[in-house]
Amino acid sequence: MKDAVRIQAEDFSQDEEIAALKGSSKRMGGVATFLGCARDFSEGREVSEISFDAYGTMALSELKKLRDDAIEKYALLDVRIVHRLGTVSGGDNIVLIAAGAEHRVAALEACRWMIDELKQRVPIWKKETTPQGESWVTPHP
Amino acid sequence: MIKVLFFGPIAAATGEREVSVEYMTGVTLGSLKEKLAARYPEAMHLATMMAVNGEHARDLSLPLADNSEVAFMAKFSGG
Repeated sequence: MKDAVRIQAEDFSQDEEIAALKGSSKRMGGVATFLGCARDFSEGREVSEISFDAYGTMALSELKKLRDDAIEKYALLDVRIVHRLGTVSGGDNIVLIAAGAEHRVAALEACRWMIDELKQRVPIWKKETTPQGESWVTPHP
Repeated sequence: MIKVLFFGPIAAATGEREVSVEYMTGVTLGSLKEKLAARYPEAMHLATMMAVNGEHARDLSLPLADNSEVAFMAKFSGG
């Protein structure tokens, strides 16, 4: 079985990740997911590609801590987080967070919390390629 | 030696992903940052986040050990 937390260049399957999440416990009554996708338009410019750089070892370690923290904070049954690196195009998947809990509220709230925390804690940077050239993305609040 | 890592916008601004800085007794995260700022002023202006040996570090008075791995990082934009 694939690790619950991964950083990888290749695309991921939401179905496989959710099946793995559900397979971890039959007490799970709610699964919530956040899927981050590449946009082909940003800040008034067309974006042809997005590429990612990361402090790989720290990013993976921070994602694992984030999963542990979310499980404890929201009493989740399981969490899976997959973030892509390399280069993606408009519409491609970037990140998947899937949270499973006994009830829906914990799963939904945990998903929102985890993507917000990921943006603050995990050392990954995004660069957009546009007709005007390349630029590193300034984080949104 | 202290291994200094740069990523993303800071690596682009410095033109380097890794540099070595000679270890000196008493060196702190802040004194290392000042030393690098003299060498890479534009890049280090972006360095709002720091890590020592793969852990977030915020205290500029943190003493560094020889063979530490230090990253000066721009605000993250993953996800």
